[in-house]
Amino acid sequence: MEQVILAEGCDVAEVTMCAPAEVSELFEFAAPWPEIAEWFTRTQMLILLIPVIVIGLFWLALRKPKLVPGKLQMMVEGAYDLVARGIGRDVIGGGYEKYVPYLLSVFLFVLVGNVYEIMPFVNFPVTSRIALPGFLAVFTWIIFVVAAIRKQGLAYFGHLIWPPGVPLALKPLLGIIEFVSTVLVRPFSLAVRLFANLVAGHLMLSLLLGTAGTFIWAWLTNPEIGFGKGALGMAWFVMGLGIFAFEMLVAFLQAYIFTLLSAVYIQSSIHPDH
Amino acid sequence: MDLAAAEAIKGGLLVMGYGLAAVGPGIGIGIVAGNAIQAMARQPEAAGMVRTTMFLGIAFTEALALIGFVLFFLA
Repeated sequence: MEQVILAEGCDVAEVTMCAPAEVSELFEFAAPWPEIAEWFTRTQMLILLIPVIVIGLFWLALRKPKLVPGKLQMMVEGAYDLVARGIGRDVIGGGYEKYVPYLLSVFLFVLVGNVYEIMPFVNFPVTSRIALPGFLAVFTWIIFVVAAIRKQGLAYFGHLIWPPGVPLALKPLLGIIEFVSTVLVRPFSLAVRLFANLVAGHLMLSLLLGTAGTFIWAWLTNPEIGFGKGALGMAWFVMGLGIFAFEMLVAFLQAYIFTLLSAVYIQSSIHPDH
Repeated sequence: MDLAAAEAIKGGLLVMGYGLAAVGPGIGIGIVAGNAIQAMARQPEAAGMVRTTMFLGIAFTEALALIGFVLFFLA
């Protein structure tokens, strides 16, 4: 399988936008070193690189911490502050310290995974493969259920199915809604939100910028196809740049929302009366 | 009806389905963001709290549109 699949079989003279026959082609890559390890894909390599990048960044920024922080130290401390205080303290409240390591890890992991989308030469958000957000969502689910069981014991499930302080006639109905939304919908929507946002972003970027590149290159090498195609390529390129800027925001925002929602779920487990 | 025509109609229906799935969340996010701006303008000191809650509201509302988007590919 080739790395650049989009341009193949794209008849520049016929179409106004190059699209692969099967969308999943944009999300699958050949193994980078098939002769050493055939099972080791580019996506796995990118996932394994995330902790290296995060730890390297923190090491670089905090190896000689200064009282008046430099740019990099400021950035890293800002990220910590955002997660520990902005999300942990303000959302979870009392007893939040225990959950800050998880929240910070998941925030940085998802953030770097998202930023891969707009990183030149990488251009592939690893969080757009459902396995990764799915795994993270299951992990968040385990954490908030275990936190709830520790806090309230098995009465947690009892309260879910048979909510106290509600008129008797409403109890079964509310119990079903509450149970389904807590146990099924929460992890599902957490995973799908991250996944679908990144899939949409990757699709838009690769279709727009890939088409733009193909069209402009075809026009430069073979001017007979007409100036119209080159101009169309430029139009796609400008639109792609706009989406690119938007995706910078999305990459940060989705990492933030994932962490925020994890914190909200943990909060609802350890402070059930709020 | 031959297969190619059926495929083309299916593609059109998928796009329409996604469009329908985007209507509700679009209106919803508009309401959430609009009210958040109003709250921030009336009470600037509560802006931080309002912003956090706004993102939560947007995240919950947006999920429906995204599920529609995923179904577009699954169907």
